[in-house]
Parts: sequence; C-alpha cells; structure tokens
Amino acid sequence: MSLSGTAPASAAISLAPIDFSDRTLANGLRAILVEDHRTPTVAINVGYRVGGKDDPPGRSGFAHLFEHLMFKGTSDTAPETIDRLTEDIGGFNNAFTAEDITNYYEVVPSNYLETLLWAEADRLSSLTVNEPNFVTEREVVIGEYDQRILAEPYGMLDELSNREAYTVHPYRRGVIGDPENLRAATLEDVRQFHRTYYRPDNAVLVVVGDFDSAQADAWIDTYFGVILKPAGVIPRVTVVEPPQTGERMLTYSAANVPLPAVDYAYHVPAASAPDAAVLDVIETLLGAGKSSRLYVSLVYGKQLATVAYASADLREQPGLFGFRAILSKGKSISDTRTALDLEIARLQNEAVTAVELDRAKTQIASSFIRSRQTYNGIALALVRAAVERGDPGAVNGDLARYQAVSAADVQRVARTYFTLPNRTVIEYLPAASA
Amino acid sequence: MPAPAERILDNGLRVIAFQQRSAPKALGVPLIAAQLIVRGGGSAESDAEAGLSALTASLLTQGTTKRSALEVAQSVDALGARLDASSGFDAAVVSINATTPEFPQAFAIFDEVIRHPAFTPAEVERVRTKSISDLGLTYSNPSALARLVANRVAYAAAPYGHPLAGTAETLASLTCAEATHFHERWYRPDNAVLIVGGDITPDDAFALAQRVFGNWKKPSTPAAVLQPFSAPPSRAHVVIVDKPDAGRTAIVAGRVAIARNSPEYYAGTVATAVLAGYSGRLNQEIRVKRGLSYGAGAQLATRREPGLFIASTLVDHTKVAEATKVVLDTIAGLGQTPVEAKELTTRKATITGAFYRGIETIDGIAAAVGELALYDMPLGELERYVAGIQAVRATDVEHFAKAHVASDAFVVLVGDAGVFGEAIRTAYPAVQIVPFAQLDLNRANLMR
Repeated sequence: MSLSGTAPASAAISLAPIDFSDRTLANGLRAILVEDHRTPTVAINVGYRVGGKDDPPGRSGFAHLFEHLMFKGTSDTAPETIDRLTEDIGGFNNAFTAEDITNYYEVVPSNYLETLLWAEADRLSSLTVNEPNFVTEREVVIGEYDQRILAEPYGMLDELSNREAYTVHPYRRGVIGDPENLRAATLEDVRQFHRTYYRPDNAVLVVVGDFDSAQADAWIDTYFGVILKPAGVIPRVTVVEPPQTGERMLTYSAANVPLPAVDYAYHVPAASAPDAAVLDVIETLLGAGKSSRLYVSLVYGKQLATVAYASADLREQPGLFGFRAILSKGKSISDTRTALDLEIARLQNEAVTAVELDRAKTQIASSFIRSRQTYNGIALALVRAAVERGDPGAVNGDLARYQAVSAADVQRVARTYFTLPNRTVIEYLPAASA
Repeated sequence: MPAPAERILDNGLRVIAFQQRSAPKALGVPLIAAQLIVRGGGSAESDAEAGLSALTASLLTQGTTKRSALEVAQSVDALGARLDASSGFDAAVVSINATTPEFPQAFAIFDEVIRHPAFTPAEVERVRTKSISDLGLTYSNPSALARLVANRVAYAAAPYGHPLAGTAETLASLTCAEATHFHERWYRPDNAVLIVGGDITPDDAFALAQRVFGNWKKPSTPAAVLQPFSAPPSRAHVVIVDKPDAGRTAIVAGRVAIARNSPEYYAGTVATAVLAGYSGRLNQEIRVKRGLSYGAGAQLATRREPGLFIASTLVDHTKVAEATKVVLDTIAGLGQTPVEAKELTTRKATITGAFYRGIETIDGIAAAVGELALYDMPLGELERYVAGIQAVRATDVEHFAKAHVASDAFVVLVGDAGVFGEAIRTAYPAVQIVPFAQLDLNRANLMR
C-alpha cells in the first residue's frame, strides 16, 4: 500500500501531446490537422455545432433525422454518394447526433483524401433531398427509434431520465426524439435547418493520418474556402435550467422490462467546467471495471444487481451524472436503493484512499492510450473537444487534469452535486403480467 | 505487418509472437496484448451441461489460489489492464491488454488466472446467479433471442445447437466439480495456443512465454480430441416464437454453411459481403429502398465444423410478412444471377478495408492470428487474405450461394405472432409456433 501524499505510480504514464495544426478560414470554418504516416489511411471528421437540443419546436428528433438526410444527395451528387466514395474503396463512413454535436466521419485510403474533402464541402454547401427519399428515410429513423427505444429492454429509461430531470431545458427531449414529431416534419423543415446550422462558421473539420499538411490545407482552401459565410447569427439555446429544489421520484413500467431497474440523475456542470475532470474520475471510481465501488458492492458483494454503473454525461451545457442498477432476479428495489445511497454517502463522508484514486487514474490513462490506437479515435477526441468544450487543445490537458484530482476534490464534488434536492429517481419496473 | 513468428515450448504450448507499434510513436506509451486460446469450448459440453464452458471461463477471473476475486480485479485495474475470459463454441479465450510498462505484471496475473483458478463454491453461486439474471436480459431482446433460437433450429441436437450461456435449468444444475473437471480436461499446454504481440520483439515475447508458462506441466494422459459431427440437413421452414410483449419482431433467416478451413471460405466471405453492410443488398432492399427497418445484414460464422450463415433484421410487427419475403428473395437472388463486376469489386473492397482496419489494433491482430491458429491454418494466410478475397470470381460466389445459402433457408421470427402469424401461415407451408412461455432452448424441438 502506498501512503497518501506519495507520488502515484500512474504518474509514470505520460502521454505525448497530439501535435495538431489549427486554423480558422475566412468563412469561419475551423480546420484541424494531425499528420502521421503510420498507416496509409486518413480519417476525416466534420462536426457541426448542432444537436438534439437545437431541434425546432414540435420537431423533437429533427437534428438526428437531418443527419440521415445528409447522405441523400446534393445538387451535384446522387443519394448515397458518400457510401460509394468510402465503402466501395474499402473505407467506411458514418455519423452520429448527440445533444450538442452532429458529427460525420470517414476513414479511407489516403489517396482519396481530396475526394472526401470535396464531398464533405459539397454537402455542407448544398443539400437536395426529394420527397420519396425524405419519406423513406424518415421511416428508417423511426425504425431506429423502435430498435433502440422499443426493442431494447432499457432503451426508454435513458429517455425518461432526461425528460424528468430537466424541466425547461431542451436536453429534456433527448436526441432520438418522438415518432409523432418526426412524422410531422416536412421537406421545408429540412431546407430551413440546413440554412440555419450547416454553415462554415458552425463547423469543425478534423483530418488525421497519412497526408501532406500543405497539400491538405490547399485542398481545404479549394473546396471549403469557397463556401460563403451566410449573413445572420446562428441561433443558440439560451434557456437555463433552474436549480432543482426538491427530489423527484417517479415510477414507470413497461411490458418488455425483464428485471426492475433504478436510475438516479443529478444535475452537474458543463463539460468545460473545472469540476468535469473530478466527475469523470468519480465515474471511474464507481463504475469502471470489477474493482469499482458499485460493482463490488451491488453486483459482487450484495448481489442485488446484475448491472450497476455510473455515468458522467457531461455536455456543452450543464449535464447529468447518472447511477443505474438493473436488479438481480428476486431482489428488492428498496434494498438496491439503500446500497446505492450508501455508496454515495461513502463518497461524501470518507476520503478515497490514494491506492484507489491512483487505480482510477491509471484506468483512465490506459483507456486514453487505447482510444488513440486509430486515426479516427484521435480525430473524434479533437472534434468533440472543439465542439463541446470550445477547445481542441483540451485533449492534451486532460490527462494532467485527471492526475491533479485529489481525494478532497472527490469528496467536495460528491457533496456539492449528489444531494437529494438535486436528484431525480426513476424506478423502472416490469409491467404487471396480464 | 511483419509475419508472426512461432515456437513450441517443451510442454507442447504453441507460442506465436508479432511485433507492432500500437500507437503513433509520437503518442508515447504503447500497448502489448496476449491471448491464450484453449481448444474445447461449448462444443465440448453436452446439452445437459450447456453453459459449462462459459461458466468455467467466467470463474477464471473470480479468484485464484493466491488472490480473491476482488484482489484479481483490483490488481488488474491498478495496472490499467483489461483481462477477459470467455468461451465460444470451439475454444475459450483468455486475453490481457496493458501498456508496455505494466505488461509484465499484467502477464503474471494472466498466467495465474489460467493455471491456478480457485473455483470456489461461493464464486460458482455468484456467477450462476448473475448468469441467470443476464439470460433474462438476453431473452427480452428479440434480436438476441432470435439468434439463439436460430442456432438451435440449425443444429438441432448437434454440438453447436445449445446456447453457450446455458439455460436457467442447466445453469441451476452446474457444479463447482464440473467446472474444475472441465478445466483439468481442456486447459493444458498441449491443447492451447499463446499469442503475444504489440510493442515487444518476438524474442522478448518467447522469453517471457518460456519464463512464465515454461513450467506449465503437460498431463501424462493424451489431450482430449473433439469429434467431427454434422448438422441436420437444411430444410425450409418457419419457427415463430410468440412474444406479444416484444417491442419489434426480429427476423433471422439462415442455413448451416461452411467450416473455416473450407476451400470456399473466400467465396463465402465475398458472397456474405454482397448481402451485408450498409450498401449490401439486404440493407439496400430493406432499409434504403423500403424503409422497413433501421438496418438489415448478414453474417457467416465459420468454425471448426460448418458454421451458420444468417441474414437478419428487426421490423414492426405489421411488416413481418413483407420483410421476411424481401429477406428470402434477396438471399435467393444470389444464386440466380451472377454478381456484376462492379458490385463484386466494391463489395470485395469492403472486406479488405475492414480487414485492414481490424489489424489496426493489436487486439485485432491477435484475434486474426488466433483464429488461424485455432483452426490449424497456416499463419501465412494472414498475408494471403487480401489476395484470396481478390481472386474470388462471380461464378465462385454463385456456386457458393447455390450450394450453401440460396435455398432451403429456415426462418426464425421472434415477436407478436398475434399481429403477423396469419400472414406467415398463409405464405409459408411449414410453420411452427412456440409460445415464449414454453420455449426451451435446451431441447432440439424448442418446446418444454
């Protein structure tokens, strides 16, 4: 056992910073490059600062539907052109929509970089979707809702947690949205959304891999530089969720829930806040690996739960810190809640030991290294930091921020945020069998 | 990528080493990974023991003669390492992955859990309880359940037919003694392959293997041998698991196809790629053209004995009849008209691209090397893989499809039969309906 105050062993793990160039074009597009020649491929990410929280009123899920439509053709290209330019030459592409970001990405052999830069610039500057493609894709998105929310036994619980924890902030609507709202969406909504958010000054381009930076910069100027920056300001969510002043307790049930689950959600600060690193460390202490507190207590020790974890769901604007336990067969919700509460109280009342804190930091550092094995992993880290924290360079300070977290920080943060008035509890139960 | 090197230790343990920097040099701390592959797995257990190979693998990390389960977890997490043990039908795999400075310590824990697991009754009870709860989660997901049912339908009473995770009944009956015996029988140096690779030279990897596993004693009795077997002949029929509370209906169509060492492996891989992937025919027909689902795909599992080809999707209960027809017609189409040159080229590109991305990480390389070793394939296949794919002709795909995939597929539907049952019975002559409450995956006919 090492004594508290001695330098933690994980100080041995130091990561060299990601060496990136960062410039903003005259039209406002931010372009970040990492040149590396380990493998003959290149990863391209284009992140837009728009997500589920920016869904138009009455159009819950629209940002996500829109992401799908970005694959459905431009004035110069047919639908699925991006798939032809990636899959057909051994690359791949995809996209995701989160609360604050919509990110499109491709990994291709490096000699196709110019083609993909052209294609990404093309769908930023024009989008032409016809009615039949729009209607078909809308059904696909509803199919995604069905798969993730209806067919997955606990899919709806994430949605409920957001919906109940927020009262006014649009985070309450989630990202995947609502099939009724999606069915009400029109092609004109699509055009309006593209005009509003898909503009160079709302985008971050990240390219990582095997290319020559001067050549890539020239291509970026050629294809992205010519796109005009539209007049007018980009609308931003300014709604502030008022502090929660009393615990909320809800019970839901659904037919396809095999075992009861309990979910806690606490309001926490934004991803760019100083306490964010502490919350990430707490997430690891509580839920990462079989030595983590929730696993040891609820799953291994008391055998109350078959799954137990914590999640620091940090966002551009204040997010949520969640606790989740799916009960073992035949166990009681109240015993499980007592055990969860005990772990929360323990964080608040006892200083975490140096050994345990060090273990969590080493786990985080090792995960970092694993996530950087691929060009796309590096690109994703940069684009998320740029969009959600406003600073791609944050990726290089993260390890030091985690290393700096002290036992006193953990205790202070747990006391500050994990309070009853700040908590929303959902008990999620199997529907009484008929 | 340099070719893997190999050596056999005196105790019969085959050691394979490869060197690969796992991160751009500038990023500093790279990784080393190791895997031990133990022949046996689920096909070495009887139906009554379903879940035994998985239970045995799970117990490895739940305590050794030197450390409790909690101490194993704490030691692994303190190193920032990942330690996993699981079982497939043909083998169990124990794997460790750690940063270079921490790897020697992590490798020592890896050795300890493989050779000196404690198998205590208390841990057996824990794994049993958790496995039974986990089954509840699996059974409530229609896609996951449909795959388990498809396995049983395809293999009936043959060794690949039972669920690897067992059933609530078999899990309740498995004992500590059975796990100990399974471990003694299969976990032995002359029945295993050790792969070590990443930021380590082959010489250092061999020296480490010798130092740590060199004194692993080979039992005096010969190692057990897995007997060959055949799956029942394929037969077009529909099995419906009626689960009214399922949010959506999962559709799986399939047939037992080929083994990993089949000469048709590359043709089968290309044929599957024509059907699978975003731009593959199934997703084009189901999602892109008709919006019937979020996705549809295909998989070809190649194993020691012929593995299962499946096509799958998940749809609204009201669209089951339409989607089932589209899935079957799309599979059948592969055996009717040759794939055109352009489609063949692009689908091959998806395979080779995925192959290259797979070997971008050291765990991916270890998995690819491990598969070849497990099935007694030459390790040089790794370098020939891309050429093997490129050499596949349209006629090879057509022959593969006609022989193994295009006709006689069974269909498994898991969902609310009250909505689609009538339409399916009208469209297909042979339909078996199994109410969810009577489903028993440990019986060849699925019914308790």
